[in-house]
Amino acid sequence: MGDPKAFAPEHDAPIPYLQRTRDYYLALGYGAYRWAHFNDVPFTPLDKPLEKSRVALITTAAPYQPGVGDQGPGAKYNAAAKFYKVYSDSTDTIPDLRISHVGYDRKHTTAEDPNTWLPLARLHEAVKAGRIGELTPRFYGSPTNRSHRVTMETDAPELLRRCRDDGADVALLVPS
Amino acid sequence: MCHQTVSLVARHIEANGIPTVLMGCAKDIVEHCGVPRFLFSDFPLGNSAGRPFDVESQGATLELALRVLETAPAGRTTVQSPQRWRDDASWKLDFSDLGKLTPEDIAERRKEFDVVKAVIKTKQTDA
Repeated sequence: MGDPKAFAPEHDAPIPYLQRTRDYYLALGYGAYRWAHFNDVPFTPLDKPLEKSRVALITTAAPYQPGVGDQGPGAKYNAAAKFYKVYSDSTDTIPDLRISHVGYDRKHTTAEDPNTWLPLARLHEAVKAGRIGELTPRFYGSPTNRSHRVTMETDAPELLRRCRDDGADVALLVPS
Repeated sequence: MCHQTVSLVARHIEANGIPTVLMGCAKDIVEHCGVPRFLFSDFPLGNSAGRPFDVESQGATLELALRVLETAPAGRTTVQSPQRWRDDASWKLDFSDLGKLTPEDIAERRKEFDVVKAVIKTKQTDA
Protein backbone atom coordinates (compact mmCIF):
# COMPACT_ATOMS: atom_id res chain seq x y z
CA MET A 1 0.00 0.00 0.00
CA GLY A 2 1.20 3.52 -0.81
CA ASP A 3 0.36 6.67 1.10
CA PRO A 4 -3.35 6.36 2.04
CA LYS A 5 -3.72 10.14 1.76
CA ALA A 6 -2.32 10.37 -1.77
CA PHE A 7 -4.82 11.00 -4.59
CA ALA A 8 -5.25 8.36 -7.29
CA PRO A 9 -3.83 9.32 -10.71
CA GLU A 10 -6.14 11.59 -12.72
CA HIS A 11 -6.67 9.00 -15.48
CA ASP A 12 -7.56 6.27 -12.97
CA ALA A 13 -11.30 6.88 -13.30
CA PRO A 14 -14.00 5.12 -15.35
CA ILE A 15 -13.19 5.46 -19.07
CA PRO A 16 -15.25 8.28 -20.70
CA TYR A 17 -16.64 6.08 -23.47
CA LEU A 18 -19.27 8.57 -24.68
CA GLN A 19 -16.67 11.24 -25.41
CA ARG A 20 -13.97 8.94 -26.73
CA THR A 21 -16.34 7.14 -29.07
CA ARG A 22 -17.79 10.42 -30.34
CA ASP A 23 -14.30 11.85 -30.93
CA TYR A 24 -13.16 8.67 -32.58
CA TYR A 25 -15.94 8.57 -35.17
CA LEU A 26 -15.66 12.30 -35.81
CA ALA A 27 -11.93 11.80 -36.50
CA LEU A 28 -12.83 9.01 -38.91
CA GLY A 29 -15.09 11.46 -40.74
CA TYR A 30 -18.52 10.31 -39.56
CA GLY A 31 -21.19 12.49 -37.96
CA ALA A 32 -21.69 12.91 -34.21
CA TYR A 33 -23.41 9.92 -32.63
CA ARG A 34 -26.44 10.58 -30.43
CA TRP A 35 -26.37 8.28 -27.41
CA ALA A 36 -29.63 7.19 -25.77
CA HIS A 37 -30.40 9.50 -22.88
CA PHE A 38 -33.40 9.76 -20.55
CA ASN A 39 -34.17 11.79 -17.47
CA ASP A 40 -36.83 9.47 -16.09
CA VAL A 41 -35.92 5.97 -14.98
CA PRO A 42 -38.51 3.27 -14.22
CA PHE A 43 -38.30 1.43 -10.91
CA THR A 44 -40.13 -1.69 -9.75
CA PRO A 45 -39.44 -2.87 -6.17
CA LEU A 46 -38.87 -6.59 -5.59
CA ASP A 47 -41.98 -8.28 -4.30
CA LYS A 48 -40.35 -11.45 -2.96
CA PRO A 49 -36.94 -12.52 -1.67
CA LEU A 50 -34.36 -13.64 -4.22
CA GLU A 51 -34.19 -17.11 -2.71
CA LYS A 52 -37.78 -17.55 -3.87
CA SER A 53 -37.35 -15.78 -7.20
CA ARG A 54 -36.92 -17.07 -10.72
CA VAL A 55 -34.08 -15.23 -12.44
CA ALA A 56 -33.82 -14.46 -16.17
CA LEU A 57 -30.43 -13.87 -17.82
CA ILE A 58 -30.12 -11.59 -20.85
CA THR A 59 -26.86 -11.52 -22.82
CA THR A 60 -25.53 -9.76 -25.91
CA ALA A 61 -23.23 -12.69 -26.76
CA ALA A 62 -23.86 -14.48 -30.06
CA PRO A 63 -24.32 -18.19 -30.75
CA TYR A 64 -21.33 -19.56 -32.64
CA GLN A 65 -22.06 -19.67 -36.37
CA PRO A 66 -19.88 -21.99 -38.47
CA GLY A 67 -18.74 -20.49 -41.77
CA VAL A 68 -18.76 -16.79 -40.97
CA GLY A 69 -15.12 -16.35 -40.02
CA ASP A 70 -13.04 -16.29 -36.87
CA GLN A 71 -15.13 -15.91 -33.72
CA GLY A 72 -12.57 -17.29 -31.30
CA PRO A 73 -10.85 -15.57 -28.38
CA GLY A 74 -9.14 -12.38 -29.52
CA ALA A 75 -10.62 -12.58 -33.06
CA LYS A 76 -10.90 -9.28 -34.91
CA TYR A 77 -14.25 -7.51 -34.87
CA ASN A 78 -16.49 -9.83 -36.91
CA ALA A 79 -19.61 -8.10 -38.20
CA ALA A 80 -20.69 -11.25 -40.06
CA ALA A 81 -21.10 -13.04 -36.71
CA LYS A 82 -23.76 -10.63 -35.49
CA PHE A 83 -27.37 -11.66 -34.97
CA TYR A 84 -30.44 -9.58 -35.67
CA LYS A 85 -33.27 -11.35 -33.89
CA VAL A 86 -33.85 -12.13 -30.22
CA TYR A 87 -32.95 -15.76 -29.47
CA SER A 88 -33.37 -18.11 -26.50
CA ASP A 89 -31.45 -21.19 -25.47
CA SER A 90 -31.56 -23.62 -22.57
CA THR A 91 -30.00 -22.66 -19.24
CA ASP A 92 -29.48 -26.37 -18.44
CA THR A 93 -26.34 -26.64 -20.55
CA ILE A 94 -23.49 -24.20 -21.13
CA PRO A 95 -24.01 -22.80 -24.65
CA ASP A 96 -21.30 -22.08 -27.22
CA LEU A 97 -21.50 -18.29 -27.30
CA ARG A 98 -18.93 -15.84 -28.67
CA ILE A 99 -18.33 -12.09 -28.54
CA SER A 100 -16.31 -11.49 -31.72
CA HIS A 101 -19.28 -9.42 -33.02
CA VAL A 102 -18.93 -6.64 -30.42
CA GLY A 103 -16.34 -4.04 -29.49
CA TYR A 104 -14.83 -5.52 -26.35
CA ASP A 105 -11.34 -4.44 -25.29
CA ARG A 106 -9.20 -6.62 -27.52
CA LYS A 107 -5.96 -5.12 -26.26
CA HIS A 108 -6.48 -5.83 -22.59
CA THR A 109 -8.67 -8.91 -22.55
CA THR A 110 -8.95 -12.00 -24.71
CA ALA A 111 -12.48 -13.39 -24.26
CA GLU A 112 -11.00 -16.82 -23.55
CA ASP A 113 -13.20 -17.38 -20.51
CA PRO A 114 -16.93 -17.01 -21.34
CA ASN A 115 -17.68 -16.67 -17.62
CA THR A 116 -16.42 -13.08 -17.77
CA TRP A 117 -19.43 -12.05 -19.86
CA LEU A 118 -21.94 -14.88 -19.23
CA PRO A 119 -22.43 -15.62 -15.52
CA LEU A 120 -24.44 -18.80 -16.19
CA ALA A 121 -22.14 -21.17 -14.27
CA ARG A 122 -22.02 -18.72 -11.33
CA LEU A 123 -25.83 -18.43 -11.43
CA HIS A 124 -26.17 -22.22 -11.24
CA GLU A 125 -23.94 -22.14 -8.16
CA ALA A 126 -26.16 -19.42 -6.66
CA VAL A 127 -29.21 -21.66 -7.19
CA LYS A 128 -27.42 -24.60 -5.53
CA ALA A 129 -26.43 -22.39 -2.61
CA GLY A 130 -30.04 -21.27 -2.17
CA ARG A 131 -29.11 -17.64 -2.88
CA ILE A 132 -31.64 -17.44 -5.72
CA GLY A 133 -34.67 -19.65 -6.25
CA GLU A 134 -34.10 -20.87 -9.78
CA LEU A 135 -33.25 -19.82 -13.31
CA THR A 136 -35.77 -19.48 -16.10
CA PRO A 137 -35.52 -22.54 -18.36
CA ARG A 138 -34.03 -20.36 -21.08
CA PHE A 139 -31.64 -17.41 -21.25
CA TYR A 140 -32.17 -14.72 -23.89
CA GLY A 141 -29.97 -13.08 -26.52
CA SER A 142 -30.36 -9.38 -27.23
CA PRO A 143 -29.19 -8.16 -30.67
CA THR A 144 -26.80 -5.18 -30.62
CA ASN A 145 -25.95 -2.50 -33.15
CA ARG A 146 -29.59 -1.95 -33.91
CA SER A 147 -31.15 1.46 -34.13
CA HIS A 148 -32.55 2.79 -30.86
CA ARG A 149 -36.00 2.47 -32.38
CA VAL A 150 -35.63 -1.24 -33.26
CA THR A 151 -34.21 -2.03 -29.81
CA MET A 152 -37.02 -0.19 -28.02
CA GLU A 153 -39.95 -1.14 -30.27
CA THR A 154 -39.06 -4.66 -31.42
CA ASP A 155 -36.31 -6.34 -29.39
CA ALA A 156 -37.10 -5.10 -25.86
CA PRO A 157 -40.82 -6.06 -26.09
CA GLU A 158 -39.83 -9.48 -27.45
CA LEU A 159 -37.35 -10.02 -24.58
CA LEU A 160 -40.04 -8.96 -22.08
CA ARG A 161 -42.52 -11.40 -23.64
CA ARG A 162 -40.04 -14.27 -23.31
CA CYS A 163 -39.21 -13.35 -19.69
CA ARG A 164 -42.93 -13.37 -18.88
CA ASP A 165 -43.57 -16.64 -20.74
CA ASP A 166 -40.86 -18.24 -18.61
CA GLY A 167 -42.23 -16.80 -15.37
CA ALA A 168 -39.24 -14.57 -14.56
CA ASP A 169 -39.49 -12.63 -11.30
CA VAL A 170 -36.31 -10.60 -11.89
CA ALA A 171 -33.87 -10.13 -14.78
CA LEU A 172 -30.07 -9.86 -14.89
CA LEU A 173 -28.69 -8.12 -17.99
CA VAL A 174 -25.05 -8.58 -18.98
CA PRO A 175 -23.52 -6.75 -21.95
CA SER A 176 -20.35 -8.17 -23.45
CA MET B 1 -23.03 -0.28 -28.01
CA CYS B 2 -23.81 -3.47 -26.12
CA HIS B 3 -24.17 -1.45 -22.94
CA GLN B 4 -26.57 0.97 -24.57
CA THR B 5 -28.71 -1.86 -25.97
CA VAL B 6 -29.15 -3.68 -22.67
CA SER B 7 -29.76 -0.38 -20.87
CA LEU B 8 -32.73 0.24 -23.17
CA VAL B 9 -33.92 -3.33 -22.63
CA ALA B 10 -33.58 -3.06 -18.82
CA ARG B 11 -35.70 0.11 -18.84
CA HIS B 12 -38.43 -1.58 -20.87
CA ILE B 13 -38.55 -4.73 -18.74
CA GLU B 14 -38.51 -2.76 -15.49
CA ALA B 15 -41.25 -0.41 -16.70
CA ASN B 16 -43.38 -3.49 -17.31
CA GLY B 17 -43.09 -4.85 -13.79
CA ILE B 18 -39.99 -7.05 -13.69
CA PRO B 19 -37.13 -5.71 -11.51
CA THR B 20 -33.75 -5.68 -13.29
CA VAL B 21 -30.07 -5.30 -12.55
CA LEU B 22 -27.39 -4.65 -15.17
CA MET B 23 -23.76 -5.77 -14.75
CA GLY B 24 -21.37 -3.78 -16.92
CA CYS B 25 -18.05 -2.03 -17.54
CA ALA B 26 -19.10 1.17 -19.37
CA LYS B 27 -20.26 3.46 -16.59
CA ASP B 28 -21.04 6.59 -18.56
CA ILE B 29 -22.99 4.87 -21.34
CA VAL B 30 -25.30 3.10 -18.88
CA GLU B 31 -25.79 6.13 -16.61
CA HIS B 32 -26.34 8.48 -19.55
CA CYS B 33 -29.16 6.22 -20.73
CA GLY B 34 -30.44 5.74 -17.18
CA VAL B 35 -31.25 2.31 -15.70
CA PRO B 36 -32.87 1.19 -12.45
CA ARG B 37 -29.92 -0.76 -10.95
CA PHE B 38 -26.34 -1.04 -12.15
CA LEU B 39 -23.32 -2.91 -10.84
CA PHE B 40 -20.28 -1.25 -12.41
CA SER B 41 -16.97 -3.13 -12.69
CA ASP B 42 -14.09 -0.83 -13.67
CA PHE B 43 -12.68 -3.49 -16.01
CA PRO B 44 -11.93 -3.54 -19.76
CA LEU B 45 -15.05 -4.07 -21.90
CA GLY B 46 -15.80 -7.78 -22.12
CA ASN B 47 -15.51 -8.49 -18.38
CA SER B 48 -18.93 -7.47 -17.07
CA ALA B 49 -19.21 -10.66 -15.02
CA GLY B 50 -15.76 -10.68 -13.41
CA ARG B 51 -12.11 -11.46 -14.04
CA PRO B 52 -11.13 -14.23 -16.53
CA PHE B 53 -10.41 -17.67 -15.01
CA ASP B 54 -11.13 -16.31 -11.54
CA VAL B 55 -14.17 -17.98 -10.05
CA GLU B 56 -13.86 -15.99 -6.86
CA SER B 57 -13.93 -12.66 -8.73
CA GLN B 58 -16.89 -13.81 -10.84
CA GLY B 59 -18.78 -15.08 -7.80
CA ALA B 60 -18.18 -11.83 -5.90
CA THR B 61 -19.34 -9.81 -8.92
CA LEU B 62 -22.58 -11.77 -9.20
CA GLU B 63 -23.18 -11.58 -5.45
CA LEU B 64 -22.76 -7.81 -5.49
CA ALA B 65 -25.17 -7.52 -8.45
CA LEU B 66 -27.73 -9.55 -6.49
CA ARG B 67 -27.24 -7.26 -3.48
CA VAL B 68 -27.84 -4.23 -5.71
CA LEU B 69 -31.01 -5.90 -7.01
CA GLU B 70 -32.23 -6.51 -3.46
CA THR B 71 -31.30 -3.25 -1.82
CA ALA B 72 -31.44 -0.39 -4.36
CA PRO B 73 -33.69 2.28 -2.81
CA ALA B 74 -34.60 3.96 -6.12
CA GLY B 75 -33.82 4.05 -9.84
CA ARG B 76 -30.36 5.10 -11.11
CA THR B 77 -28.67 3.17 -8.31
CA THR B 78 -25.06 2.49 -9.32
CA VAL B 79 -22.69 0.50 -7.16
CA GLN B 80 -19.04 0.21 -8.17
CA SER B 81 -17.34 -3.11 -7.50
CA PRO B 82 -14.28 -2.71 -5.27
CA GLN B 83 -12.31 -5.07 -7.54
CA ARG B 84 -9.42 -3.57 -9.51
CA TRP B 85 -8.36 -4.89 -12.94
CA ARG B 86 -4.74 -4.22 -11.97
CA ASP B 87 -2.89 -1.73 -9.77
CA ASP B 88 -1.56 0.16 -12.79
CA ALA B 89 -4.51 1.91 -14.49
CA SER B 90 -2.68 2.75 -17.73
CA TRP B 91 -4.92 0.32 -19.66
CA LYS B 92 -7.66 2.94 -19.39
CA LEU B 93 -5.72 5.31 -21.64
CA ASP B 94 -5.73 2.96 -24.63
CA PHE B 95 -9.40 2.76 -25.63
CA SER B 96 -9.93 4.64 -28.93
CA ASP B 97 -6.88 6.75 -28.20
CA LEU B 98 -6.59 9.05 -31.22
CA GLY B 99 -3.24 10.38 -30.04
CA LYS B 100 -1.64 7.09 -31.02
CA LEU B 101 -3.10 6.98 -34.56
CA THR B 102 -1.38 8.32 -37.68
CA PRO B 103 -3.47 9.74 -40.57
CA GLU B 104 -2.78 6.45 -42.39
CA ASP B 105 -4.13 4.50 -39.42
CA ILE B 106 -7.26 6.64 -39.46
CA ALA B 107 -7.80 6.06 -43.20
CA GLU B 108 -7.32 2.32 -42.66
CA ARG B 109 -9.79 2.27 -39.72
CA ARG B 110 -12.35 4.15 -41.82
CA LYS B 111 -11.98 1.63 -44.63
CA GLU B 112 -12.47 -1.25 -42.18
CA PHE B 113 -15.51 0.41 -40.63
CA ASP B 114 -17.12 0.96 -44.03
CA VAL B 115 -16.73 -2.76 -44.72
CA VAL B 116 -18.34 -3.55 -41.34
CA LYS B 117 -21.26 -1.24 -42.11
CA ALA B 118 -21.76 -2.86 -45.52
CA VAL B 119 -21.83 -6.35 -43.95
CA ILE B 120 -24.37 -5.23 -41.34
CA LYS B 121 -26.55 -3.63 -44.00
CA THR B 122 -26.66 -6.82 -46.08
CA LYS B 123 -27.40 -8.98 -43.04
CA GLN B 124 -30.13 -6.69 -41.74
CA THR B 125 -31.86 -6.84 -45.10
CA ASP B 126 -31.71 -10.64 -44.88
CA ALA B 127 -33.01 -10.81 -41.31
